[in-house]
Amino acid sequence: MATYVIQRLGLMLLTLFAIVTLTFFLMHAVPGGPFVSERMLAPEIEAALNAKFGLSDPIWLQYLHYLRGIAMFDLGPSFKYPGVSVNQMIADGLPVTLRLGLLAVICVIALGVPMGIVAALNRNKWPDTGVMLLATMGVAIPSYVIATVLLYVFALKLGWVPTFGLDDWRGYILPVLALAGFWISFVARLSRSSLLETFEQDYMTTARAKGLRPGQVLFKHGLRNSLIPVVTVLGPVVANLVTGSFVIEQIFALPGIGRHFVLSITNRDYTAIMGITIFYAALLMVMILIVDLLYLWLDPRIKLSRQSA
Amino acid sequence: MIGPILSVRDLRTSFFSQRGEVQAVRGVSFDVAPAEMLGIVGESGSGKSITCMSILRLLKANGRIKSGEALFDGRDLFKLDEDEMRDLRGNDIAVIFQDPMTSLNPTLTVGEQVIETILRHRRLTRAQARQRAIELFELVRIPSATARLKSYPHEFSGGMRQRVMIAMALSCDPKLLIADEPTTALDVTIQRQILMLLKELQTRLGMAVILITHDLGVIAEVTDHIVVMYGGMVMEQGNVRDLFARPRHPYTQGLLAAVPDLRDDTHHRLTPIPGSPPDMAHPPEGCPFAPRCPHTMQQCVAAMPPLFDGARCWLQHPEAPRVAGVNELEPA
Amino acid sequence: MSEETIAPAMWEKLDRSAAETEVIATPSLTYWQDVRKRLWANKPAVVSIGFIVLLILAAIFGPIFSPFSYSDQNLKLANLPPVFEPYRVTDSSGTSTRFFLNASNFNLYQVSEGGQVEEIIRGERKDMLKKRQGFKFGDQAVTLDYSSLPAKLLNADGSVLRPEGLQWNMTYLFGTDQLGRDVLVRQMIGARISLTVAFVATLVNFFIGIFYGGIAGYMGGKTDAVMMRIVEIISTIPLTLYVILLMVVLDSGLISIVVAIGSVFWVDMARMVRGQILMLKSQDYVAAARTMGAGTGRILTKHLLPNSVGPILVTLTMLIPSAIFIESFMSFIGLGVTPPLASWGTLTSEAVETLRAYPHQLFFPAAAISLTMFAFNFLGDGLRDALDPRLRK
Repeated sequence: MATYVIQRLGLMLLTLFAIVTLTFFLMHAVPGGPFVSERMLAPEIEAALNAKFGLSDPIWLQYLHYLRGIAMFDLGPSFKYPGVSVNQMIADGLPVTLRLGLLAVICVIALGVPMGIVAALNRNKWPDTGVMLLATMGVAIPSYVIATVLLYVFALKLGWVPTFGLDDWRGYILPVLALAGFWISFVARLSRSSLLETFEQDYMTTARAKGLRPGQVLFKHGLRNSLIPVVTVLGPVVANLVTGSFVIEQIFALPGIGRHFVLSITNRDYTAIMGITIFYAALLMVMILIVDLLYLWLDPRIKLSRQSA
Repeated sequence: MIGPILSVRDLRTSFFSQRGEVQAVRGVSFDVAPAEMLGIVGESGSGKSITCMSILRLLKANGRIKSGEALFDGRDLFKLDEDEMRDLRGNDIAVIFQDPMTSLNPTLTVGEQVIETILRHRRLTRAQARQRAIELFELVRIPSATARLKSYPHEFSGGMRQRVMIAMALSCDPKLLIADEPTTALDVTIQRQILMLLKELQTRLGMAVILITHDLGVIAEVTDHIVVMYGGMVMEQGNVRDLFARPRHPYTQGLLAAVPDLRDDTHHRLTPIPGSPPDMAHPPEGCPFAPRCPHTMQQCVAAMPPLFDGARCWLQHPEAPRVAGVNELEPA
Repeated sequence: MSEETIAPAMWEKLDRSAAETEVIATPSLTYWQDVRKRLWANKPAVVSIGFIVLLILAAIFGPIFSPFSYSDQNLKLANLPPVFEPYRVTDSSGTSTRFFLNASNFNLYQVSEGGQVEEIIRGERKDMLKKRQGFKFGDQAVTLDYSSLPAKLLNADGSVLRPEGLQWNMTYLFGTDQLGRDVLVRQMIGARISLTVAFVATLVNFFIGIFYGGIAGYMGGKTDAVMMRIVEIISTIPLTLYVILLMVVLDSGLISIVVAIGSVFWVDMARMVRGQILMLKSQDYVAAARTMGAGTGRILTKHLLPNSVGPILVTLTMLIPSAIFIESFMSFIGLGVTPPLASWGTLTSEAVETLRAYPHQLFFPAAAISLTMFAFNFLGDGLRDALDPRLRK
């Protein structure tokens, strides 16, 4: 177990290093990018950048400077706003983004899985058809369309929830739903097909042949096994929820990291783009690691093969 | 003479799909006496497993018991409600399946899977149930029983898993144990161990066992009575000794001819039965074995033969012509 | 038992040749015939194919037949709806004027009997305080009162003017956008862009994936291990981020977005191809073919390829909607094609800007992209079911 975690952490650091390198050199290729010396910039920003990265130094030295910064969790100053660091921008938006993401993950699990169960238990009857119809819509309609439609209907027309801002809890409803919509549908479809497959397994017949009650058969024997594929997709789910929040934060005008990111793109705030990308990547990889560990705990067969390997 | 513990009468089970009705079991009747071991033999698709799943009422969603009764301890299993049936399963009637690799839940410890069965049917504390599980593991000779309770199925070999299945089946002292091809998926060397264990436990615990198999060798050694099934029907039934000594149905004879006999040193070839079992979506009107039988007569395809004293074959009709080796036996 | 007597003839031995004429009735189909049959039996998939074909035709030929181009602006006829309620005013000389009221910008537009939009009607000076504006039609005066919503049209005597019912906008079938451009033609151009991006990017992914996965699978051993470790690292990188970064570097535009999407999403394809090849390499029938003296070329074309075509096709069908989605996502956050060019993403984001006043503008781009996603999803599902030999019956 411990060796597995260490292995995974090692791979994660390697990936992160690859990402930092890739990002740095991509940004270097931008005409007028952060590490090019011929630019028109506010003098105080120029000075801050120079102090941080040594702009007159050769590129490999600048790269090392940047790496050293990353190692000390310092993403450098903003390219556009004097006196603001990328760290500050992230710290500013993180709580909102995390809260949104967490609520969305909860929604995905709390709505998607039960929807799948209901559909599987009523196979080919109306609850199944209804859930599958809804889920197919959720998978096909892009989140920004869902977001704008929700915004129009519930905020502008019906006025049930505020159109923007997070001043009270109702402000969270639409963004979270729009963010989670696709993945709720995805998880509903996945858990349905996974459950149906599990129902066919011999051990389910064994469980019934032991005289266990339907509830015991479903929850103890059926659900746990069919949830394994659902857990495996949770990693990508988390990743996509976080990247999906760019648009959602934009549409609902929420002050999260995604909004900062989109704003940095339009402003061509290169250091911010770099910093936020790297931060995102790191965040996602930690999340995926957590999900994988959860998976390990859920399926004992994996544990053995990993340990012996 | 004590009455049978299980008495199946005219059981008919069908499956319904887009292709139409598949008549898997077409009027099967047999008795199981207390503390006896009954063998049901047949090829795959002969309806032997479906018969047993019907008795337990564990058919797949598209399967239906169309008619018949199964008297267990004087109660018709087909008339019980689902709750009563559940109280019976795993308690009075237990079952072991063919493939121990897939019949155990891979995500629960084997201990848990035995304990939950005990707790379902007995008023015991968890600790008592655990103690009972250890005793059961020792009974089926799983080494270091206490430690093994915490293992997962994938940590066992096939034979050990089947022992776990047996322990689980025995956990509530069933009066009837149905073993559906319990040795088929195992290594040949393990098959015999498991079979002998079953036989030993059957005599020791005094329970009735239905042993389903396609392997006549398995049957001959351990069972008391045999039911031979083909095309969803009983072709021949009777005492194991008589049936092996003088099989009266050409199908049984064909089965026996296809079994290698190590004591036989005449070096004659094994005789396979040509052809394949009938399509149960369109069962033949006459004897299901007629297309493959070496002695088929006009009467065989025209009408279904009744059971003539335990053998469903027109050649057993008093007016039937004599055929050497079938109804005209060489002098003993 | 049965005591009825049986006719002696019935004890005759059966003539075998008669009994064995029964032949298995199911006609044998080749794999692809079977696949086609199953696909055609799948209603949603068939409807999806029809929709996709129509969409492609509209994207290619639609703009050619449109009287407008995607960049023609007419600010006087901006934000027109696709459906309106025409009013009629007849003056004393008998000339009647048909017009409709755009309830969101309080303009009146003259329309023909057939529903062609003719021009904006000039009124008198707006009374900003009372929120009224007068209009003259010959000797008839009509007052537009927008002090309370919805806006009303009043006759000279103060009675409310009644519309004649609904009529479709025959000049601009889908209405116009905020710059007075025809939404229909922009929609078709959007389809052209989105589909081009999707198909080209998918093709690029396809070739990279086949190439990379093919090499890894074919070489096996150490090469395979290293190549797959690289794939593993790439797959943990959030790819959307990288498309965004690439777009920042490459600057927005059609080619950049194709390059960005094409260069990033090949990982699944590579994995799939490698898996297929590894699996097929170990299949008994390949070994059997080899034993029977078949050469590598023959094995590749006769055995490996036909068997991996199925999964590859499914992966491709599933890649297309995600490419469409990423493109529209990029365009939506302003990294896609540059104006005045349109894609479904830019159309949606333009519609979002005017959502409060003209919510109907969201309908067409949102419907177009959603329906297309539906179609490709259904088609992919249908293909997967049709190609899966396990379901063969």
